[in-house]
Amino acid sequence: MSNFNFGMTDVASRETRIGSLTAYKGSLSELASLTDSGEVSNCDRCFSQSGGCPSMCALGQIARIRDVLVVHHGPAGCSIQGVATNTIVKQLAKKRGIKNNTVYIGTDMNEEDTIFGAEGKLKDIVRTAYERYRPKAIFVSSSCASGIIGEDIDSVVEDLREEIDVPIAPVHCEGFKSHIQATGFDLSDHAVLTTIVKPPEGKRNVINFKNFFESARLEIIDIFKNFDVEPLFFYTNATVEELSHMSESLATVSVCGSLGNYIGNALEELYGVPYVRSINMLGIEGFETWLRTIGRTIGREEKIEAYLKAEREKYMPKIEELKKELKGLRAVIGMGPGYTFEVARVLNELGMEVVWGAAWHYDKQFEDRAAKPEPMQNLIDKGIDFEMSVSDQQNYELLNILEATKPDIYISRHNGTTVWAVKQGYAALFAGDEFMIFGYKGTLNFAQAVLDTIKNRSFEKNLAKRTKVPYTDWWYKQNMDKFFVGGNKKEGR
Amino acid sequence: MGKLRQVAIYGKGGIGKSTTTQNLTAGLAELGKKVMVVGCDPKADSTRLLLGGLAQKTVLDTLRTEGDTVELDQILKEGFKGTKCVESGGPEPGVGCAGRGIITSIGLLERLGAYTDELDYVFYDVLGDVVCGGFAMPIREGKAQEIYIVASGEMMALYAANNISKGIQKYAKKGGVRLGGIICNSRNVDREKDLLRAFASELGTQLIYFVPRDNVVQRAEIHKQTVIAFKPDSGQAQEYRNLAQAIENNTMLTIPTPMKQERLEEILMEYGLMDNLEDDYKI
Repeated sequence: MSNFNFGMTDVASRETRIGSLTAYKGSLSELASLTDSGEVSNCDRCFSQSGGCPSMCALGQIARIRDVLVVHHGPAGCSIQGVATNTIVKQLAKKRGIKNNTVYIGTDMNEEDTIFGAEGKLKDIVRTAYERYRPKAIFVSSSCASGIIGEDIDSVVEDLREEIDVPIAPVHCEGFKSHIQATGFDLSDHAVLTTIVKPPEGKRNVINFKNFFESARLEIIDIFKNFDVEPLFFYTNATVEELSHMSESLATVSVCGSLGNYIGNALEELYGVPYVRSINMLGIEGFETWLRTIGRTIGREEKIEAYLKAEREKYMPKIEELKKELKGLRAVIGMGPGYTFEVARVLNELGMEVVWGAAWHYDKQFEDRAAKPEPMQNLIDKGIDFEMSVSDQQNYELLNILEATKPDIYISRHNGTTVWAVKQGYAALFAGDEFMIFGYKGTLNFAQAVLDTIKNRSFEKNLAKRTKVPYTDWWYKQNMDKFFVGGNKKEGR
Repeated sequence: MGKLRQVAIYGKGGIGKSTTTQNLTAGLAELGKKVMVVGCDPKADSTRLLLGGLAQKTVLDTLRTEGDTVELDQILKEGFKGTKCVESGGPEPGVGCAGRGIITSIGLLERLGAYTDELDYVFYDVLGDVVCGGFAMPIREGKAQEIYIVASGEMMALYAANNISKGIQKYAKKGGVRLGGIICNSRNVDREKDLLRAFASELGTQLIYFVPRDNVVQRAEIHKQTVIAFKPDSGQAQEYRNLAQAIENNTMLTIPTPMKQERLEEILMEYGLMDNLEDDYKI
């Protein structure tokens, strides 16, 4: 039976679809065994700070496709992310040396629109924007307000398809639908799969490569040349035309299981494009395993072994040298669930100790409903264990964890959280770029960055001395799961 | 002149809320009371009988065309014996949010000063069940203090009345809203008055008046009039006058005690209604 429903325009949340968690505290091994036995269950929070909105991930991803139009149907405040999106779209295009004319607009729903509905206005806005910008594809998104009053964006899109001949997709982005912003990744994938990707007409020597920032683009193109394949990076800077051929590729890989899960599994189920299920390309073991898995999937094992051998010789001695200085350093990491496990593996490889992993959410399984995430299994197989929490980006929990564990370094992929760690006096490294630890070279650079971060700590010390963080001493004496209720919470600690 | 009494009329859709409200307010107007009727139904037909037709623009339509320059006299028309009539209005069926419309339009009425000191009564005639926050607007703090639920001896009418009472109970805790009683708009079902009395008492309230069924009501409606205006000497007109007097005299305002579905069905059973249903199963 299919795990997807492409007859529908909407995708349910990760919580309801694949049982993903937003609150948990316990060890990694406990979480793994609870997952295996099917006993893992989510806690609620009776107190919560603000978190992400699925629309940030959904529309943030879609808007990076080259020359598209995103129409966010909601009050002006909902489309505030258009400002940041516009900036990043322009920057990432400039970095690549191309032009991306994507336009992100909001419909500015007002009181009157909320009462009477604004489907007519929405249509006019899409028409006008189409005439003005001539995008290659259009995405029409709902918001909380338009979702609550039941604006029928599906019908609006249906009607517009009769008069506009570029792909138009509805995206159902009601923020209240999911606490997991990564639900938005699935929404964007679903929209692309149902309206842009066409059935295959042949095979191409291309690997679909899901990533965020394309930072290792040239490097990966070079690596893949050795095996006679080309990467198709998406969504950043990908063209609608390129995306339409994703069904013809040799395989799909993703920098992160949480990011690529939906489209990877869907392309496999729909068009037989294999989804490479592997630990990702971070660190040494990651890079090697990842490339070998790709090699097996597309039948290029020998060429890959030759490449790896040459690279190892170049970088391993330098990495070994740095490892001596990193040995025994204690780290707390705060990032998405995929990277929590991946980065933990790399830190272990470098001789460091993960004292706490705070994953923003936890996918106990992926869209194929198979085993738990590969990078998690990898840690379990190696007997690596550490305390962890599923933290929904709750800053108060993170600062409590830092105070309780007093690490040498806090590493996060989400800016903002590292700032708070620094304000509390901890050395912090913002590892936002997903290719920061890519391959041997990336591992070397990352090891150097960790060393640089911890060597001179006067900045954190001085800033902490002059900063008052908003939490009371009382809070730091509590368990970080103080406000967890139900689920797998262990009572009475 | 006494203190302004703000009254909201709720009840299952089609039960006769608008008809009852307009005949009742016509009765109060005859008693010399100054009454304003605020229709809270997108169909905007809550004041038709008092005005002799759908004669006015709704608050929300006016807001749409006039923007911020809306004046009170554009949306407030005088009907039978000086009753002031307002229709909130709302979106076309199937689009937008009627509940939000009620919130906006009551807010606008307040800002425009529709609630003048000379008024004795404001009646809110609210669509159907309390399906969302918008339809609860008239019973939220500072609005209606007194609720009457129109019901009949039919199961679904009582079910809706019980549900509405849950909404009242919720707001009674924070605001001063109270249930004034059940008005029975008779459907001539078996032992209807006994059933309604038992139901009301279980709900911690009273059957404030039993309005019998009479076809003159329908004839008056076709003539776009209340019964009191259409056939002032009829028995039915007198029934509505009595209802008006009962409300004028009412001092029994309680916080309702809504019952569980099982208890509601027990009461129906006790009064034979369920048995009849079973007998009529084949029909």
